[in-house]
Amino acid sequence: MHLGKMAEFNHPVQPLDRGVPLQISIGGVPLSLFIQEDALREPASKRYREFAQNSENGLPIVLTQPHEHAQSRVEFSYSLDDARLILGPELAEFHGVRHEYALDSLLRILLTMVLLPQRGVLLHGATVVREGRAHIFFGRSGAGKSTVASLSPEGTVLTDEISLLRYSDGRWQAHGTPFWGEFRAAGINRLFPVAGLHLLHQANDDRAEPLSVKEALRALLPCVLFFTTEKRAHETLLATLMGLIQEVPCDRLHFRRSAEFWKVIAA
Amino acid sequence: MSGFIIRNPKLAWREIGGETVIISPEDSQVHELNETASLIWKHAEGKTLQEVAERVSAVYEISVEAARADINALVTVWQEKQLVFLAAEAKG
Repeated sequence: MHLGKMAEFNHPVQPLDRGVPLQISIGGVPLSLFIQEDALREPASKRYREFAQNSENGLPIVLTQPHEHAQSRVEFSYSLDDARLILGPELAEFHGVRHEYALDSLLRILLTMVLLPQRGVLLHGATVVREGRAHIFFGRSGAGKSTVASLSPEGTVLTDEISLLRYSDGRWQAHGTPFWGEFRAAGINRLFPVAGLHLLHQANDDRAEPLSVKEALRALLPCVLFFTTEKRAHETLLATLMGLIQEVPCDRLHFRRSAEFWKVIAA
Repeated sequence: MSGFIIRNPKLAWREIGGETVIISPEDSQVHELNETASLIWKHAEGKTLQEVAERVSAVYEISVEAARADINALVTVWQEKQLVFLAAEAKG
């Protein structure tokens, strides 16, 4: 797989016979969704309305029926229930997508691959903005991501479920995403510099325990959304995460499920 | 126990401050090696157990025999975890 090639984003929007695409941008990645079925296009338009962005060179994503392959060269593929993602050198195909939730899932998987060569990752984490900087609260299911989101002022939460981190303009930045968990929202298509990474740990006190680089890597790895089994992609992921944790402080945040945790973060 | 040590070519790994983190992409398993194991991992590729033992002996100032015993035990674990294989012939 030539991950570097995908980073160029020189994707000609060729499938003219597939209608006008729904153009969106997530994490600075322009995407052109060709959805023929109105029953899917309308909810998708609504779901990603905050991320609508006109772009002539977005990566084409063609939703087709199962087994209706439009390209012969496959660089990455992934099956999820009845739906399947096939990524080629110039476009992505989503087969058998019956509802917006399947579309959402395949978009996440696709983004993990497209972001990778651009020093970007998706992480199981809530992103909350405080004083213009993003804090990433990460952890596995049940760690408290939604709790953190619920304890944060309205309008400060970029996501309660899937954080998108990407290195751009000389720093790590957190992007808003349309990917939400319990606190379903349209999302905010903005980006903020990352101030800290916080591994959530429910406890009887509030304190931030700094993590070493190795500890941070060990904590982050299980929380990264990653679907390929390719060695080179994993090497790129390791390099990306190392870059992240060498530039952004990471701690284990012991918290009592109250907003008091902000005091130890601010300290 | 003999042969040339070959790291599993499917693994992705990276050194962190003298230690090593290894990812097995096929099952998403993460393995961590301490400083000593990392030294062996780093210099094991294509070497015999005896050659690695001699290197470890020189670095840590222990006898070759003692180093060899430790390396045998370590490589046995690595084989079980499919981190390395022992080949009858050196690669290339």
